[in-house]
Order: sequence, then C-alpha cells, then structure tokens
Amino acid sequence: MRVLGKLRLALRLLARDWRAGELRLFVTAIVVAVGAVTAVGFFNDRLDRGLTQRSADLLGADFVLSSPAPVAGEWIDTAVSMGLRTTGSLDFASVVVRGDRLQLASVRAVNDDYPLRGVLRTALALYQPGALTTQRPKPGEAWAEARVLQALAIESGRTVEIGSASFTVTRVLTDEPGRLGNFFTLGPRVLINLADVPATRVVQPGSRVTYSYAFAGIDTRLRAYREWLQPRLGPSDQITDARQGNTTTARTVERINSYFGLTSLLAVVLAGVAIAMGARRYSLRHYDTSAMLRSMGATQRDILALYLPQLFVLGLIASAAGCGVGWIAQVAIYFVIKDLFPLPLPAPGMGPALLGLAAGLVTLAGFALVPILRLRSVPPLRVLRRDLAPLPAAAWAVIAAAAAALIVLLWYYTKNLTLTFAVLIGTAAGAAALLALVLGLLRLERKFKSGAGSRWRQGFARLQRRVHAAAGQILAFGLTIMAMTVIAVTRTDLLATWQAQVPADAPNHFIFNVQPDDVLGVQRFFKDNGIASQALYPLVRGRLVEINGVAVREAVTKEEGAEANNAAMQRDLNLTWAGELPPDNTISAGTWWNASPPAGEVSVEEKLARRLNIAPGDRLTLTIATETLHARVASLRRVQWESFHPNFFMIFSPNSLNDLPTTYMTSFHIPLAQKSLLADLVRKYPSVTVLELDQVLSQIRAVVQQASTAVELVLLFVFAGGFTVLFAALSASMDERFFEGALLRTFGASRWQLRRGHIAEFVTLGAVAGLLAAIGTEAVAYVLYARVFEIAYTPKWWVWIAAPAVGALLIGLAGFIGTRRVVARSPLSVLRDI
Amino acid sequence: MNDRSITTAISAVNLSKRVVTAEGPLDILSSINLDIKQGESIAIIGVSGSGKSTLLGLLAGLDVPSSGEVALAGQAITTLDEDGRARVRAGRVGFVFQSFHLLPGLTALENVMLPLELAGNKAPEQQARALLDRVGLRERLTHYPRQLSGGEQQRVAIARAFAVAPSILFADEPTGNLDAATGARIIALLFELNREHGATLVLVTHDESIAQRCSRRIYLDAGRLVERN
Repeated sequence: MRVLGKLRLALRLLARDWRAGELRLFVTAIVVAVGAVTAVGFFNDRLDRGLTQRSADLLGADFVLSSPAPVAGEWIDTAVSMGLRTTGSLDFASVVVRGDRLQLASVRAVNDDYPLRGVLRTALALYQPGALTTQRPKPGEAWAEARVLQALAIESGRTVEIGSASFTVTRVLTDEPGRLGNFFTLGPRVLINLADVPATRVVQPGSRVTYSYAFAGIDTRLRAYREWLQPRLGPSDQITDARQGNTTTARTVERINSYFGLTSLLAVVLAGVAIAMGARRYSLRHYDTSAMLRSMGATQRDILALYLPQLFVLGLIASAAGCGVGWIAQVAIYFVIKDLFPLPLPAPGMGPALLGLAAGLVTLAGFALVPILRLRSVPPLRVLRRDLAPLPAAAWAVIAAAAAALIVLLWYYTKNLTLTFAVLIGTAAGAAALLALVLGLLRLERKFKSGAGSRWRQGFARLQRRVHAAAGQILAFGLTIMAMTVIAVTRTDLLATWQAQVPADAPNHFIFNVQPDDVLGVQRFFKDNGIASQALYPLVRGRLVEINGVAVREAVTKEEGAEANNAAMQRDLNLTWAGELPPDNTISAGTWWNASPPAGEVSVEEKLARRLNIAPGDRLTLTIATETLHARVASLRRVQWESFHPNFFMIFSPNSLNDLPTTYMTSFHIPLAQKSLLADLVRKYPSVTVLELDQVLSQIRAVVQQASTAVELVLLFVFAGGFTVLFAALSASMDERFFEGALLRTFGASRWQLRRGHIAEFVTLGAVAGLLAAIGTEAVAYVLYARVFEIAYTPKWWVWIAAPAVGALLIGLAGFIGTRRVVARSPLSVLRDI
Repeated sequence: MNDRSITTAISAVNLSKRVVTAEGPLDILSSINLDIKQGESIAIIGVSGSGKSTLLGLLAGLDVPSSGEVALAGQAITTLDEDGRARVRAGRVGFVFQSFHLLPGLTALENVMLPLELAGNKAPEQQARALLDRVGLRERLTHYPRQLSGGEQQRVAIARAFAVAPSILFADEPTGNLDAATGARIIALLFELNREHGATLVLVTHDESIAQRCSRRIYLDAGRLVERN
C-alpha cells in the first residue's frame, strides 16, 4: 500500500474513531496540558515584550547614572563632547497635600529633554485614554498618575502642595518611562519642572534624593564614555544600563516563567496520566482491529503507518485547540494582575504557540506512544483466539518514555539539568510517599465493621475494589485542592492574622527627612496634639565598602547567598547613633557600650552580620557622602522588626557621625480621626516625608490578592487535569461498571439504587481527597505562619469542613455525570454484547 | 503468477502444534498432511476441542506450527516471519468468522471498504457498495454493527471477505452464532459468492449438513486427521 494511501486510510480511521467518541479523552487531556503551558508561555511573552525588550524605553535612556549628590559638571560636559545626549532629573519621595488629604508620591523633577528614550503619554482628565505628548510640565505644573488624583479626590486643574510650593495638576500621567527595576514603588509618580524644586524646600542637606543623569547615543560612543566615567565613580554612584536592567528584568521574567511554568507542569503531569490511561484503553480496544488488519495482510510497519500518523494529527489538532484555550487564559491572568505593571503590556507573539504544539506532542509521545506501539505486536491469530494479546509493555519502557517527556518540559522551565532531576525525583518520591499514605487510609477502613445501609461504607467498598486507581485520583485531587486552600488561607487570613497580632496602639506611620532644626518643632507638634511617638533618631546615609580591609564585594561573593548580600552592598544603609540600646533590641554577641563610649564603635544587626560574615571585633569601612568612616564592631543585635519602632542595621556610638549630613526619623501612632493633622504637619515642615502604613498594607494586600488569583487561574488547569484523570479512570472501568450494573438490574436492583452506589463512591473519593488537602493545608500553613512569617498560628477549622465538602461536591458531581451511561443502556443489550 | 493457475492452493506436510500448559505439554495437532487444490471447497469437521480452528490458523499463516511445513498460494510460509506471512496473505486470503469481527466504530460500508483501502484500491467505496448490494444490504450501508442483526452482520463480513477477490477463503464456523434459518441463508450466500469468485474455500464447522455442501470433508479427532469423503 502506498504511503499516501496509508495516510489517507489513517486519517479516515481517525475520523471514524472520533465519531465513535474514542478520542475525546485524549483531546481533552492534550488541551488541558497545552492550555496550561501556553497560558504561562503567552503571559511571559507579554512580559518579555513589554518589559525586557523595551528596557531602554522603560529606563528612559540607554543608561542612567544615579547619585545622592550632584555630580561634577565635567562629567556632563565630557558626555556632550563625545556626542551623547544627556538630561538630568531629581527623584525624591514626598507627600502631596490637598486640604486635609495627603498621598505619598515618587516625585521626579525634569526638564524639557526628558526622556531621552520612550514616550510620555498623558490625559487631560481622569479615566480618559492617554495620548502621546511632546510637552513637559511647565513651572508651577504637576503631572500626576491617576492614583494621586483619586487619593486626594481631585480632578485635573486643581491645586496641590508639594513641600512649600503649590502646583496645578494639569494632566494625568498615563505612561512614563524610567520605571525599570522600580515596579513596586510605594508612591505613584508625579512629574514637576526641575526649576520648581527649590521652591518646595524638600531638598535639604541629608535629604534622601537621587540625582539622575540619563545618557543616550550610539553604542560605540556610549561604551567610550562609560570607560572614561567608570574610574571616576564614587561608591554611592550607580549606573543602570538598559541591558543590565534588561538582565534584571529578564531574570525576573524568567523567574516568573519558572514558577508559573512549574505549576503548569502539574497540569501536564495529570494530563499525561490521563493520556496514558486513555492510550492503554485505546490500544486494548484496537487489538481486534489490528489483528483483523494483520489477517488481511498488513505488516507491522503498516500498522504503525496507520496509527502513528493518527496520534500525530490528533496531537496537532488538540494542541492547536489547547493554544486557543491558553490564549484566553493568559488574557484572564493579565486582566487580574495588570495593575502590578508600570505600563500596559503588548499582546503576545506566536512563539509560545509553537512551544505549546511541541509540549502537546512531547506529552503525547511520552505517555501514549508505548501503549500505541503495542498494536503492531498484536498476533494475527487473535482473530481466531481472542484471548491472545501482545506481551505487556515493559514497565521500564513506559516509565522511561513518560519521564523523558517530563524531563524535556521540566528542563525548559528550570534551564538547569540538576534542578530538573532534583524536582523530578523529589516529586516522584513525595508522590510515592503520599500514595502509600492514601493506600493505607483506604485499606485501614476495611478493618471497620461494615454495616448495610451505610453510604460511607458503600463508598469505601467501591473505592477499595479499584484501590490503586482511587488512590491516584485522591492524591491528584487532594494536592490540587490543597494548593487552592493554601492560597485562600494566604490571601484572606495571613495578613489579617498578622495585623490582628499587632497591638492597637502600635505605630502606624513613619516620618523621614526631618531636618535637625525641625526636630524640636516636630516633637512639640506630636506632644501638643497628643500623638504617641517614638524617639526621633538621627539618620545618615552611608555605604559599607570594606570588612577588615577587604572590599565587601570580594569578601562576600565567595559565600552562598551572594545575590542576597548584593542588596546590602549596593545600596546606602540607614545609619544612626545612640547612647542607649533601643527597645526591641537585644545583644546577641559582644557588648553594648557604656555611658561614655569612644567614637567609632558600631553595633550590627545579627542577620545582616551573618550574611556578611561580620563578628564582634571586625573593622568596617563606610563611605558617607565624600567622607570615609572606620568603625569597630562592638556587638551584634537581635531586632524585632515587626514592632514598627525605628530600627537600624547599624547603630554607632555617639559622636561617631558628627558633622555628616543628618536628618531625623521616627514612627508614631495617629488615630483615624486625627489623620487630618498630617496635612498640617507636612505644611509646617515641608521637607518631611510621611509613610502611612495602612496604605502600604493595602497595597501589599492588593498585590497578594492579584498574584494569588493569577496563580489560582493556572491551578484551574491542574484541576482540569485532575478531572481528565478521573474520567480516564471512569472510562477504563466502564465495561466493568456496565456488566455489574446489568447484572444487578437483572437481579432486581433499581436504577436509583445503582446511582446511589455511584454517588457514594465518588462523594467518598472527593471527601477523602479533601481530607488529604486539609491535612496538607494545615501543615503548609503552619510552616508559613510559624517559620516563615513568625506569627502565631491557629488551626484553620474552616479548611477541615470546606476542603472535604468542596471535594465531595465537585468530584461527586463529576462521577455522577460520568456514570449516567451505566444505567442508560438496557441490561439485555449489555449482556448480549459480552 | 496468477494464484488461480497454481494447482495446489494450500499444502501441509507433517504439521504439528504443541503447547505447554500447567499440566505439561499438550499436542493440539499431530502429523497433519493435507493438500487442497485450487478451487476446491473443503470442510474441516470435528467436535469442540479437536483442533479445527488451530489447523485453520496454521493453514492461513496466522500461526506457526511446532513442526512441519505449510505452503499457501504456492509459497512456503512456515519459515517466514509474521510480516512475511502477512504479505503472502495480502490480496489473496479472505476470512469469515463465527463472531463476525466487524469493527464496531465503522459502518457496514466502511467495514467492507477496509481491505480495499489496505490494498490501495482506487475506488474502494464504489466496490464496497456493489458488494453490499450483492449481499442484499443496499439499505444498510450507513448502519453500525450494533444496529444490524446477526445475519446482517455476517453478510457484511462475507462482503468484506470477498472485497479483494481472494483466491482462498477461510471460514471459521460462519453460522456458529446464528439461528438455523439465518445460518442456512448465510451458508447459501457464502457458497454462491465463492462459486462466482472461484476461490478455494476452507470451512471449519461442526455441522455435518454444512460440511456436505463442500466437495471434500476431512475430520479431526484429537488433533489427528481422519479423512472421509
């Protein structure tokens, strides 16, 4: 038979099998697997296109130099002489005030050259779409993100105060570059003109401001300038390069891809199990066909030529459908979390669709190929002796094929072969342990006395007849329900529990950038208005550069967790001094200084000390503005960060930080009814920045809500995968159920009695899965609360009711629907077919 | 070479089949020697368990003997592998079974088309329609096996068996699952078509009256051949 002829026959057989309903389970499972993979793939492609590939636009330049102080004029002149474009801006956090309302904002003061890359889009009023603009805020104008206007309950055209100056909000800022690496800033953006900064009086000696110098040009000139600039940079000067920011963003995007991707792989695994079960059944049901074809003269190669193209075409079509489902899912995911991103993300490209097709075919090959290949080994003598069947596929071949498919997909997400095998082996071991637990639970029930009329007994009895299939399904559903309840607990209960454990009168605001001359005034303000506050602590910004004479970068990169330590090395630390040990601090090593300590002693927070390998007696070198400071580590401290009192990584002995640019900070509690006082405080002391913790918590809550909803959307695919396994198991047992049902009805059982038995079986299966989920949820939640977040844990009783109830309802319903055919056919027709 | 010009359609020399059971080795067939001429119709008769279906399977190349040789359509098949034996059968051999063995997911028309498609026939549907019309099932082309009676299913099976115009037809208890009246009609149709196609017919049956319709009868008794005419 010619190749084309075989292909045509293969496609006809495929169409016929589809009409007979043989292939629906395959298609559903592939759609679930590919849908999960492509949902994640499309979403990450959007992230990549919107963030990584547009990093120069996001940065607003090819690279940006940031410094806590103005840089030498020579640096800018040299850049211009080298043919680069440059512009400067000033960033600072400040409170925007309107009447008695205030909103913390990230203010950026710019001139007419801003930005060098990317575009500004603004709207003339709230809720209008943004349009490209070539203009910039004029002196006296402010352009603010919608969140500022909403918080202050104003419309465009109204006046607000920033520091000592008044501004008219003339536009709503809808799209603005320069957010690269700053996705989660607390304050929405406000743009003002650089000429207005002095009038605000916000920028004072010691204030936390960032001078940003943006550069753009052709690559060769940029490189040449960077080479010239590099040796001149101070320790506090930082370069953010579009490519480096790109790398950071790309790493973030890759991490998101990995987390979501590994979650989606759960759906692939479950779909793969369903495919394997379906393929085994499909193969069994085609033994007679294969034997018949062999008797007609088909060779083994002919058999493969008939079935493998069917598998391939089925895989392609189902994968294409899965890509469609994945596309819709990523739209939903993006809709849920779009507010987390600094700018709208473009639509994804088609690249992930190719990945989805590949994933579908790899999954199909890994889980279905071995059973399908058995069809070529069906002995033709089976046409005369139906008891003949091909030798079962070697278990190692089945497992190896499935493992190979999973390794390929796992490696795609982890990009690390060691991690791939670790995840695979760890997951297999964990699943085996849980499976043993579930089998034990099911078999344990046998020891109970059975009672006629007990629905639970009946349900368990039916499960025990197919104990391995039941255990697998309980495990699959149990883990999925557990994942969803853990997310529900995290989203609703974790933050609330933590908040409830914070004393009612704990500080709920922080204040920064209090000038030394304003300290007494601020203290009097609090006292006069009955506001409970902590002491005002001096604050100096500095950077750790050496430990015991060795550059910090060199000292810590040899240690594990170097990436985490980089954060401590690459940004300025808040330094303070104190004569007495602050409350919430206890000495864990070394000794606190006495009443008249020498200058140059420092006490370091113990976790930072551990990360940087610092011990009492070590010598630290820090740079503060242009000064270099040496200090001896006198002690290590344990700090209760959750008290909301001012706490510091490094506390120096008195007189260590004299004559350095200093501001003051503290925390205080202000009841809701007195919040309007904050506007008075800011007006009186325009340089201060007020941080409202309730707003911070709201934002954290919103982020957690959105992120957890996005994860739940991906978990829906896992749930769908679980249901395909359930239906695959149902299909595999359907012949037995038909026979059993026909016999029982022949003996006088009613249809309803049969249905009751089915309901009992699946409700029990769902309830046991829910019970497993509840056990797992309590265990995971305990670890999260007690170990990770260190807050008191109380058992979540609602989970013990909700999880089994949800499992019983959903799985009971699915089983009820899936077994309705058993009673639809007449007993006679069933018994005749046997 | 045209199979019909070969004088001996099937020959078996010293054919034996032994299987190993839990109770020890069991000889299903012993020293069968048999020549079947082209165009002949031969009935293999015996009680249940006498080895009839086993002999049919060996003669058709569906199984390999423990010892002895079989030649099918002039080709020695004993030493061939399964694919080799399949290639000998292709286009030459048709089968009719006791349980019909129609593919449940295919309509009557599609079941008859199957061997034609396998053989690369250019107009399988047209020929299948003609055959089904010949067996009196013009109105049942689009029906699935479950929608057909036993007799109708066997007629479809017969149409399928003759689809590739085989030179040899094997029939294993073709009326075993049918009532007497239906069985008689089926047998009549089978022999009619066989006459029209001039094929060699090897018919396994326990029914003496059916066997009498064949030109030759051989009897199996405990795996041994006893030929009576």
